[in-house]
Amino acid sequence: MIHALEARHAPVVSLWVWYHVGGRNEVPGTTGMSHFLEHMLFKGTPSHPKGDLDRLLARYGAQWNAFTNEDVTCYFETIPKARYATALELEADRMRNALISLEETEAERTVIVSEREGLENDPSFLLGEELQAVAFSRHPYGQGVIGSKDEIKLMGRDGLYAHYRRFYAPNNAYVVVAGDDDAERLAAMAADAFAKLEPSKELGEPPKAPEPPQRGERRIVVRRAGGTLPLVMMAYRAPRATDSTAPALTALAVALSGTSGGSDGASGRSSRLQRAIVEKGLATDVDASFRLTKDPNLFWVDATLRPEVTHADVEKALLAELDRIAREPITEAEFARVRRQLMAATAFATDTVTWRAYRCGEILSTGAAASIADWYDKLAAVTRDQITAAAVATFPERSRNVGWFVPEAAD
Amino acid sequence: MKVERRRLDNGLRIAVAPIADLRSTAVLFAVEAGAWFEPVGRAGVARLTAQTMLRGTRTKSADAFADAMDALGAVARLDVGSHAAIFSAQCLGDDLGALLSLMSEVLRTPALAPDDVEFVRGQTLAQLERDERDTRAVVDRVWRELVYPKLHPFHAPAIGDAAVVRLATPEEIRDYHETAIRPDGGILVVAGATTADAVAKAAARSFGDWHVGGPRVARDIPEVALAATIRRTEVVPDKTQSDVLIGWPGMPRTDPRFVAARVTNMVYAADTFASRAGNVIRDQLGLAYYVFSGMGSSRGQSPWIVRMGVNPQNVTRAIEVALEELRKVTIGEIADDDLALAKDKLVGELDVALESPGGVASMVMEAELFDLGEDHFERYPRELRAVSKEQVVETARTFLPPERHAEVVAGPPLPDLAA
Repeated sequence: MIHALEARHAPVVSLWVWYHVGGRNEVPGTTGMSHFLEHMLFKGTPSHPKGDLDRLLARYGAQWNAFTNEDVTCYFETIPKARYATALELEADRMRNALISLEETEAERTVIVSEREGLENDPSFLLGEELQAVAFSRHPYGQGVIGSKDEIKLMGRDGLYAHYRRFYAPNNAYVVVAGDDDAERLAAMAADAFAKLEPSKELGEPPKAPEPPQRGERRIVVRRAGGTLPLVMMAYRAPRATDSTAPALTALAVALSGTSGGSDGASGRSSRLQRAIVEKGLATDVDASFRLTKDPNLFWVDATLRPEVTHADVEKALLAELDRIAREPITEAEFARVRRQLMAATAFATDTVTWRAYRCGEILSTGAAASIADWYDKLAAVTRDQITAAAVATFPERSRNVGWFVPEAAD
Repeated sequence: MKVERRRLDNGLRIAVAPIADLRSTAVLFAVEAGAWFEPVGRAGVARLTAQTMLRGTRTKSADAFADAMDALGAVARLDVGSHAAIFSAQCLGDDLGALLSLMSEVLRTPALAPDDVEFVRGQTLAQLERDERDTRAVVDRVWRELVYPKLHPFHAPAIGDAAVVRLATPEEIRDYHETAIRPDGGILVVAGATTADAVAKAAARSFGDWHVGGPRVARDIPEVALAATIRRTEVVPDKTQSDVLIGWPGMPRTDPRFVAARVTNMVYAADTFASRAGNVIRDQLGLAYYVFSGMGSSRGQSPWIVRMGVNPQNVTRAIEVALEELRKVTIGEIADDDLALAKDKLVGELDVALESPGGVASMVMEAELFDLGEDHFERYPRELRAVSKEQVVETARTFLPPERHAEVVAGPPLPDLAA
């Protein structure tokens, strides 16, 4: 699947290749495999030995990287438009020809362990990972993405290579390109680059591990010495991106905490949680988020507590606000602000070539909409009543998962 | 990139980069109110003032101001940097006039009410407490304490000194606002869906009658140099990874050697993948997930630092390798292709930065803030290309001597200390 968009305001092209493989495709014993594989895609092919890709892209001043999430693994390059053909050649080459040698697998293992250890320094990661594990009893979303440290240490080269050959193929990828050229020409060049690649014959069926209904609240406490400020996180069961309520859930998150989190910013301060939690001196930061994913996932609410405040007080205040937004529709004035923030945020993202391509890929790969414009239309059509209905459906006690991070004194 | 410049009678400079086919504009408003201009010994007053300014104005309560900002859907923040305090925002093109009007109220007539000062004080002290358990924040704070003398503007990070934050009074905040937040030396940069005329008109409406207060007090700031290598290890309880920071006092952005320094930085460690430190430490030895260096832009000796995230077992080795790679640069062991790659990357990045209104605005702001000249964007790629290997070696020897650096590690106990 190839999707091209014109973006004529800068002499660049942003090329994104989305593979339908991520944490969702893993089972216990192989957690983190898709992410490990993402690292190995930078370790060379017969045509472009290790380091070649890094130096070529660096030479063009490219902005380039990759990421893995629960649903997809994604690679991108934003480059001067004259170098678009090179970017296509590099991506098409590593789609089927990555070497993934034993030696490079061993060398990269310590880098990935180091990445995981860096995340472990952050209490939000530790609490989020454990809360996600509690929220899912069957679905692989509960395993996270980076994998356990022990499984990273045990990951074998042959397993990685088999994962690669199975999932890295044109029949399991979206190519999204945005840039300073005619969309048809951008798409035609991409088609040329990827057309001759052999498809995977082993894709099999998409993973099926439906999560059974949750019957009541689940709670965890994570304690660590030193740590940081205390945290409260809540994760409610929420529908997939293709669900008709996904646009209303996106708007609900904005009504609760605005579009740009962070205590230093001057934006989103009119939102419900900001006023009830931060402005009342209970927390330094508060956030609510809903992500577009292939399978039903979670609606997150989290707060970083002021030092002298208790977890119970913040949790109570959060629950009161979630209850209130489900009982009392947001006012016309609030609704106008939410709509404006949503519309502005989409313009901000798509005014950057890289993020225009990313946004398109996210929408297409999760099935949320047929195009960026289609997604905008869905957001614009959300009503106040739909936001209330989304809150009613999302915030009952039985689908709630609550986590506290409790910093303890160092020994 | 086309930049049109204007100037208001009160000294406020305006630079506009219109970009066709966009719906939004990026706005940067810099005032000379960074750490460089903070009163001696009062680290944190500038940021406290900036954060309190965002909590309402003389005509709008905190709630009314928040409603007005969110009604535009704008994103905005006010950060205190080494040199300037920068009000950065993005809004839809049609809302530019309304956004500038709000910015004007924040800058010129903030409420600075005692309750707001207390709110910001509470938030800031909480952040300082969090920073004491954040390995990255700890290495940054300790490294500054090692390198810059106590009364130097870069001795403390922008968030400031906890004792100052605890005791700063609303009167001190109001005084600082009155003396530091002023139009002379101010620069407004707008990039995106607008025109120079539209910006000039809106800016004149919002800022045209803003008059300069009293004279600015000049601050005498001594030169900083490291006489020897200094090392410090900070144990942060219950962490898994160590943060490592190696650095030197850098050079002013206005120094004629700054362009060569940017190339030197790229050759050595600026990019985890394209520079030699990252290539060896991550790619060849697998010792770290990230290795990168950065040099600040200010009128003073901003930090020039290398950062790494490393398992405690590998800290000693990673530092040795980082310094060994630097030694090679200082003795001219630089492959021609490494130098060419560094220059190509820095030049290529200029094109790629044009992809976003924020990227364009940042480039324009740097040029305006440091008076780099109206022809800067034509000259700069040529200047980068012209940097020679000898200049790189000389820059590294002068500014990055491996035998005289300051090094801080924060995280779990290191193996030799735990034994």
